Amino acid sequence: MKKKVLSALLCVAMIATMLVGCSSGGGSSEDKGGDDSGDKKDGYKVAYIARAQEDSFAAWLADEMKAAFEEYDDMTLEVFDGEANDEKENSMIENCIASGFDAIIIQANNGEAQLPYIQQVVDAGIPCITTNPRVECEGTGSIDADPYEQAKVNCDIAVDQIPQNAKVVVLLGPAGNFHSTERRNAWEKEFFEKRTDVQIVAEDIANWNKDEAMALMEDWVQANGKIDAVVSMNDNMAAGAIEVVKDNPDFKDMLAYGVDGTAEACLLIKDGLMTSTGLQSAIDLAKMNTEAVHAVLADGKDVTEINDNVPAPLITADNVDEYIQMYKDNGQIKE
Amino acid sequence: MKKSHTRDIIQKYSIYLVLLAMFILCAVVNENFLSVRNLTNVARQLSVGTIIAYGEMLLVIAGLIDLSVGSVLALAGVLSIATYQGTGSLALGFLVAIVVGVLCNLINAVLVTHFDVPAFIATLAVQMSARGAALFYTKGQNLLQLKDYTIFGQGSVGPVPMPIIFMVVLTIITWYIMNHTRYGRSLYAIGGNEGAAIASGINVKRNKYITYVINGVFAGIAGVLFMSRVNAGLPNGAVGYEMEGLTATIVGGTSFSGGVGTTMGTLAGGFIIGFLNNIMNLTGVDSYVQQIVKGGIIALAVVVDIRSKNKKTQKVILAADDNEKEKEKEAAK
Repeated sequence: MKKKVLSALLCVAMIATMLVGCSSGGGSSEDKGGDDSGDKKDGYKVAYIARAQEDSFAAWLADEMKAAFEEYDDMTLEVFDGEANDEKENSMIENCIASGFDAIIIQANNGEAQLPYIQQVVDAGIPCITTNPRVECEGTGSIDADPYEQAKVNCDIAVDQIPQNAKVVVLLGPAGNFHSTERRNAWEKEFFEKRTDVQIVAEDIANWNKDEAMALMEDWVQANGKIDAVVSMNDNMAAGAIEVVKDNPDFKDMLAYGVDGTAEACLLIKDGLMTSTGLQSAIDLAKMNTEAVHAVLADGKDVTEINDNVPAPLITADNVDEYIQMYKDNGQIKE
Repeated sequence: MKKSHTRDIIQKYSIYLVLLAMFILCAVVNENFLSVRNLTNVARQLSVGTIIAYGEMLLVIAGLIDLSVGSVLALAGVLSIATYQGTGSLALGFLVAIVVGVLCNLINAVLVTHFDVPAFIATLAVQMSARGAALFYTKGQNLLQLKDYTIFGQGSVGPVPMPIIFMVVLTIITWYIMNHTRYGRSLYAIGGNEGAAIASGINVKRNKYITYVINGVFAGIAGVLFMSRVNAGLPNGAVGYEMEGLTATIVGGTSFSGGVGTTMGTLAGGFIIGFLNNIMNLTGVDSYVQQIVKGGIIALAVVVDIRSKNKKTQKVILAADDNEKEKEKEAAK
């Protein structure tokens, strides 16, 4: 009896999976590594291996990649999810080589771990672009956002904005993360070395997470009383710190800096709660990747000639409306 | 005799003594620790973890486990927010979170009770699916502009923050369930010896279902509090929260082998972890060192648990031996 129920359930699950697969549009069928989208059957087949769809930026980038490829009639994209797991991402690279893709774009989970597999792509003669982050591997191209620059644009204004002898707290991303480390380096060289009067009263890892940053900030407020500025390696953590003190009149002049230019950060800047953020635009990254891979496949450009960074514009109260409109257009901010 | 009585009391209340010692130590180490605001912060920070811990405690006592609670919390939270944003009804949003929590846990219960899938594997599968569903629904993006929804996590009644009120109410409910209902007593029996529980007429399957349903209700409420507190619907939020819940449960004296555990012990476990995190942040302990210390405390708690259980077992065996000897003596006479 149990076996019958189990097989019935499995059948239902199988049918449901097939129905979901069939009913979803071109975009989402690509997620599952399924058939090519729409009727672009004869074009170049490009694989994009995303670091982890559970990472909100990576998910946004994957969506923008799909949207950017829609603009081309001679290329189709299949998106694979590395699930923030080196082994899975490496297997996906191997599978993509075996599947005969015309080009592969890789968003590494861990550059060092993916390096030998990226080398396999090069050895197989398949054009390969690494993106966000760049992986240094001979024979590949790369499009990235420069984490140092993204933090530096904040430092440039913070040098003048943060008051004398200020007490600041610093929120870091995961230990050893390249982007977190580079952004922190920028703050060290471009701000703390220039403003030796500023005191770091607390510095800790919040793993890019808003809730972890909130818990840290609650304790830091208790331990230090007044905090003049929050220096965060991403917007999520800055938003968490702001959440703790946003209704506290003692903190109404607190400055807060982040990186990423997320929709939430833009709303906070608009509300006067956050000072600035350096944009890491998934739209720009996707566009540049798509243009680059098209130039390689359709125009014969050498992939190794591709080595660009997306710009890292600073978002402040002066220009935030432009970016809020961008997020309204892509649905992340509702009217 | 008196000595062993004192030892029994110390053993019984050891977790509260540890909590008290920790409280005094924290108060001595940092002057800010004892401020009302700081203690309120600690209680607010650990409220979500403790609510999850109560669900885990019920399951662990019954010899089960739930590894899906962090993902279920996230799914319940984002769907609750979406409902609120779509309808403007806080009550409906809250209800949806509970329904989602219960549905996910019914899947856990079906897999565990009807298909005999080990709870570890069944809930691991639901963990993946629930997280996937939360990410699929939100396309991996945070839900913003929560407006009045934040009242659950950021509001307060008088000076008492809402999450603390939820935690207190659920503590009372859990304590009542475990101490004053037949179901609560059955859980200890099931976890202690499932075969004996069946033989004594306890409906084990039904009780397992009820336990997962209660766990689902708690996960749904925790989802609302978590998302509302952070003022965003985070589909990738609360990753690893099952471990937070399990840690408070185990530190609080619940035995992984089932049949042992108390509500107040779990609450104490939650506060021990909460005080530990708080004091290390207040004193600026390096985050790597924090991890080492937390790991050490968990290991220590489990070692103490195992040793005290062994002692109890030894005592029972020795008492049994003494009885045997007395019987033999009487027979010889």
